[in-house]
Amino acid sequence: MSNVLPITLIGGYLGSGKTTLVNRLLADPALPDGTAVLVNDFGDINIDESLIRSQSADGTVIGLSNGCICCSIRDDLSQALDQLTQLSVKQVIVEASGVAEPVRIWQHCHYPGFAPKAAVVLVDASQIHQRLQDKYVGKLAQAQLDQAHLLVISKTDLNPAFQLNRLQPSFSSNDPALVATVLGWQQSTQPAAPLPRTVQFGAHTWQQQQELPLAVLERFLREMSDQVHRAKGWVKTDAGYYQVSAVGKELSLEAVTGLPSGAQLGLVFIYRLDSDAHTGGFAPDQITMTLSG
Amino acid sequence: MLTLFKARSVITMNPSMPRASAVLVRDGMILEVGEAENMQPWLEGQEWEVNEDFADAVICPGFIDPHLHPSMAAVLLPMEFITAMRWRLPWGDIEPVTTAAGFDQRMAELHRSKEESKPLFIWGYHQLWHGQMSKARIEAVSSTRPMVVWHRSFHELYMNDAAMAMAGIDPSQIRPGSQIDIDNGHFYEVGLGFAINRLNPWILAPEQYAVGLQRLKEVVHHGGHTTIGDLATGLFNFDAEAKALAEQLEGEDVPFRTRLVAHGTRLTQGGRKPEEGPELASALLDRNSHRLQFGRHIKLFSDGAFFSQLAQMQEPGYIDGHHGEWLAAPEELERHIRTYWQAGFQIHVHVTGDLGLELTLDILQKMQDEKPRFNHGFTFEHFGFSTPEQIRRIKALGAQVSANVYYLHELSDSYAKSGIGFERASQMARLGSCFEAGINTTLHSDFTMAPAEPLNSMWVAVNRRNHVDQVMAAEECLTQQQALEAITINAAHAIGLADITGSLRAGKRADFTVLGQDPLTCDPMALKDIEIRATVFEGRVFPIE
Repeated sequence: MSNVLPITLIGGYLGSGKTTLVNRLLADPALPDGTAVLVNDFGDINIDESLIRSQSADGTVIGLSNGCICCSIRDDLSQALDQLTQLSVKQVIVEASGVAEPVRIWQHCHYPGFAPKAAVVLVDASQIHQRLQDKYVGKLAQAQLDQAHLLVISKTDLNPAFQLNRLQPSFSSNDPALVATVLGWQQSTQPAAPLPRTVQFGAHTWQQQQELPLAVLERFLREMSDQVHRAKGWVKTDAGYYQVSAVGKELSLEAVTGLPSGAQLGLVFIYRLDSDAHTGGFAPDQITMTLSG
Repeated sequence: MLTLFKARSVITMNPSMPRASAVLVRDGMILEVGEAENMQPWLEGQEWEVNEDFADAVICPGFIDPHLHPSMAAVLLPMEFITAMRWRLPWGDIEPVTTAAGFDQRMAELHRSKEESKPLFIWGYHQLWHGQMSKARIEAVSSTRPMVVWHRSFHELYMNDAAMAMAGIDPSQIRPGSQIDIDNGHFYEVGLGFAINRLNPWILAPEQYAVGLQRLKEVVHHGGHTTIGDLATGLFNFDAEAKALAEQLEGEDVPFRTRLVAHGTRLTQGGRKPEEGPELASALLDRNSHRLQFGRHIKLFSDGAFFSQLAQMQEPGYIDGHHGEWLAAPEELERHIRTYWQAGFQIHVHVTGDLGLELTLDILQKMQDEKPRFNHGFTFEHFGFSTPEQIRRIKALGAQVSANVYYLHELSDSYAKSGIGFERASQMARLGSCFEAGINTTLHSDFTMAPAEPLNSMWVAVNRRNHVDQVMAAEECLTQQQALEAITINAAHAIGLADITGSLRAGKRADFTVLGQDPLTCDPMALKDIEIRATVFEGRVFPIE
């Protein structure tokens, strides 16, 4: 288990911001050295000239000054992964094709020597609602959303009122913690060895079945473990519907008159894993007990 | 020197004179088709000879397959075939094997007949006929010779320990979840990618590839072709493919020409914009030689592979609810199509499902609205599933159809039962309607996906019988005349070569296929068994044993 390389997938439809995110990752000091970033086509990536240290003879691998490499996939992910086994790589980030369903690429990440770690999917706030209705790519866009472990909402400046209303962990692409979150997101049941200098995150979803007393909810949120990084969702209480948003220590509990369309009752928790990649003080079962009590 | 070919009958595919009894040829060009007694003016004062070798045979225009893949053939043909369908190959007919015991017996025969140390690659296995494959079954044949058994679909394989050792695969390094059932030596999907990467030194060895192309040359000849289309040159590696083609498919001993159509998205990979495509594609014409010719054609892809049920379907979709696949995002496909449309290219788009077809029709409509073109030759390739409404649109937009009708024979049964249901499965390859609408319609094999035998394609199109002998949508059966047009003159139009081949008339190249029986008057069920005596390529006779 310790000698498989973890792969973080970056998926999402065309124009959703995958390339922008990849460029940010490549340039970010938090990118651990020994990272291989696999992209569909170098032409889309805008690597800073100053970062480039070398390029392979066949042009498929670019060596970066931060000790990382960028490789072009050229349609065959298996081959690209296979080539990595010859290099001293410690972890991998894969930019998925814009028309790929994350579960299919996830399956590819089980290539011998590798294991998938998290599927991060970019969502274009200005396009997603229309796209979900598109007769050609609607089903694909839906699948990309459904199959994401972490959603990153991009272009919110073009659509500030955007709300996704899904019981899935999500971050804005403007969030200063974005790079750290993406690099640290851990989804697979058998976590690979934790990365140095990277905070690891996990997510837990609690779906609400029965009405909850408001007092119980308030107390729960106040006493929530320090490990909880974010909590978000809608809860039905004995005093009506409430929208919950907890970011670190800041808690917002807002009464709402009705649920937005498509919203599901429940909460999504994003928590930090401890140094051994365990949930530490965050106890998903406890939460379920307390809130469903 | 003039040569006067005499025949029992000449089928010309020239509607002004459908039949004749003689063809006069000089330097590879047809001077005249008709009756020998009318050809005297040409012969006056010239050296000429009569060729009576085909006096009791039927001469047709040389058959054309406008869509197959030499590079895939080069990889597959060096393998040994054990399949449930009949394959007529130049080096021997492969009789169908339809039981597990039969498969094992054939494996054992092959093992005994081959030099001990060499690895044995077998292709054609399918669990439906041949039972469940396993490493144990292969080991029962040999535990010392490396053996690899490929599934007919090419999407899975099985290996024995000796093959794994040869390929440097260490079973202890294989973890669960990688789509490798290591105890059974079974590699599929992702696991297959791994196995292929390890086996590439053998599968893609240059000498092996060259052998594969030589075999392809024989296969093409034996199928009666005088012209073929390579629809996606550059699929694997552009320069390597071009080099291998120049070595093996050019020269005096090559009895056919190849229209090369570049793979559109590969052409502009590596950071180039799609808008650079037309210039790059036009530059390819500089590489042209006598028998290997690029033209102003390009190949693009809409939805996924037919065999793997990845076609994109309109409602009600697939019975099990799974989704097909897009090979390009609609916006990207549109961008590529636009750039070649504006540059006046003939565009070929792979479409398998009726939703893939619908998208491509929408794009074509947009192109016509932006820049109306006549005679643009836009071709829908494969044409698995379509609706009657789409036939009208194809006609209205001036497009043509190049269909893999063989899917009907091999897949309509399984598609009916576990794909999309009987109604739509039976109506795949809606060819009768295409002809009815006056759409230029041709047939191809997509070899190695189907046998490279135009007579076999004719047989499927005319009879529409699948492998369990059911007739599927008899209304869509072609007449023998239509089916022959589909593999001659219509095919020539599909790949832009109708000026020089596809029919027999003065001025065209002397490309013939010589048959023992008449394909227009024979029993329709006998079409696939018609004897091909020879081909004639640009006036030169190439007999077939």
